Amino acid sequence: MSPEILALLAESLLETIYMVAISALIATLLGIPLGVILITTGKGHILENIPLNRTLGSIVNACRSTPFIILMVAIIPFTRMIAGTSIGTNAAIVPLSIAAIPFVGRIVETALREVDYGLIEAAQAMGASPREIITKVLIPEAMPGVAAGLTITVINLIGHSAMAGAIGGGGLGDLAIRYGYQRFRADIMLATVLILIALVQIVQSCGDHIAKRLNKKQIGGSSHA
Amino acid sequence: MITLRDIHKQYPGANGGVHALRGVTVEVKRGEIFGVIGKSGAGKSTLIRCINMLERPTSGEVIVDGQNLTSFSEQQLREARKGIGMIFQHFNLLSSRTVFGNVAFPLELAGKSKAEIAAEVIPFLELVGLADKKDQYPSQLSGGQKQRVGIARALASRPKVLLCDEATSALDPKTTKSILELLKDINRRLGLTIVLITHEMHVIKEICDRVAVIEDGKIIEQGSVLEIFTKPQMTTTREFISSIVNHDLPDIFTGTVFSATSGPDSNLILRLSFIGHSAEEPIIASMIRRFNVDASILYGNIDHIQQTPFGTLIVELSGDQAGIQNALNYLRARELGIEVIGYVARNTRAVG
Ligand SMILES: Nc1ncnc2c1ncn2[C@@H]1O[C@H](COP(=O)(O)OP(=O)(O)OP(=O)(O)O)[C@@H](O)[C@H]1O
Ligand SMILES: [Mg+2]
Repeated sequence: MSPEILALLAESLLETIYMVAISALIATLLGIPLGVILITTGKGHILENIPLNRTLGSIVNACRSTPFIILMVAIIPFTRMIAGTSIGTNAAIVPLSIAAIPFVGRIVETALREVDYGLIEAAQAMGASPREIITKVLIPEAMPGVAAGLTITVINLIGHSAMAGAIGGGGLGDLAIRYGYQRFRADIMLATVLILIALVQIVQSCGDHIAKRLNKKQIGGSSHA
Repeated sequence: MITLRDIHKQYPGANGGVHALRGVTVEVKRGEIFGVIGKSGAGKSTLIRCINMLERPTSGEVIVDGQNLTSFSEQQLREARKGIGMIFQHFNLLSSRTVFGNVAFPLELAGKSKAEIAAEVIPFLELVGLADKKDQYPSQLSGGQKQRVGIARALASRPKVLLCDEATSALDPKTTKSILELLKDINRRLGLTIVLITHEMHVIKEICDRVAVIEDGKIIEQGSVLEIFTKPQMTTTREFISSIVNHDLPDIFTGTVFSATSGPDSNLILRLSFIGHSAEEPIIASMIRRFNVDASILYGNIDHIQQTPFGTLIVELSGDQAGIQNALNYLRARELGIEVIGYVARNTRAVG
């Protein structure tokens, strides 16, 4: 493989990492509060607010049931408004984040639901406020689940970022389509696929490792004596 | 210390919901250990959760340490709850925090600095005997150790009242005993008022000063533990007591026909219960000396309700009928519980 091609692959890889990292960051920052609101405004929970809960739930469901490729095209005007353009890596970050926020919201909601309500009651009995319950009980207790969920989010984002390449988003997906598909460069196609596989593997192992480190529920006594 | 006045609690739901408490009035004195016993679904948890208003009563008043909690706002309640500790059947420890971190939790809520917390947590861990486990996570502890952490955590904010919701129900008998001893010790040393709920009479017998029996959301009987044990009024109370004080007749009586009236050749079977000092007096011996009767003890059991001895005997009196009647009258004049089980024909069984 020529040095130019290698440089191209490296550049595309960096673009992919950039798109995924920024949209994962945005999705985490907005998705975690979304998940917290989804759970705490539910029936019988600490900030019960059924109308808000139903409304947010419906919006989240609507976003999640729209296939990414359609969402991406449908929000082009919005993307142009935010990023100033509808092509390139920065433009791709907009639909990637928008698709990932409700995903993270649901994943965080699920992780928080796993927290035994008894812990919330114990905190209430000690005089904790809803804010303290969220920051000191719910989120720390759900961290292993949240970390596992964020791993899935990042892996999904890698897949979606390749799709964004199809409409000129840059990154490995873009490279694979422009060279591998349109110019019949099977070697480049293969290389991008292998890089994507490796990327997903690395993310998954890191995520598993972090989730395991955070999980204090199944310590055999050896790791922490 | 704690006054519950005519508490009603109605959970909303289909068919009018559940009326879990129906006019509960209870007064818990400062420094005592007050037990509430009842069967599953009687309303025990609802009752104890009303004391710190985790459950808001539908009507009635909750007064803890002079504060009328029923009139408090959420914000005021949060402050008041810092003076009311609580421990739970399933411990409810934070799995993501170490033992130290769990006990530090209420101190963080109180806005204490790291240095203050570090200085305050250790004495409580020492009190419950877990100072060496401070860096372990709850998953590395046994049930009894977890409950000790729960107790240390509940005490860390220096409450005046400790609420225990079935605190020993998930523990084995030996661990239960050690936890109850710890609670008793804390009660004495810190002058802490303790309210505990349970469905096990032996827990009440072990550490409570007074007890209330709850059934169908109503307190059906309350009084000192000794009173309730020796003079239970209600069937449910008797059932609870019979779980630890044997009221069944011994097996040797199976098939025996009892008669309510004496015949010329019959022996009298009595159940005697002794409370307090009368248990120590040689009543049976002096009865035998004074009257022309013999007594065989068919069953005997002496127990202690805290410091007070409490015994049950089943005796068979034999002799001439006048002697038996005199002996019975003599026993009736003593301070003990007497239950005439009946007369049996002499020599129907071998007397041991
Ligand atoms: N949150 C709730 N919503 C509706 N009904 C409830 C709720 N909590 C309790 N109940 C009902 O109230 C009644 C009393 O329940 P409670 O939990 O106080 O009983 P308990 O004496 O503690 O029983 P157990 O020994 O089984 O814990 C039960 O009929 C129960 O089904
Ligand atoms: Mg209960």
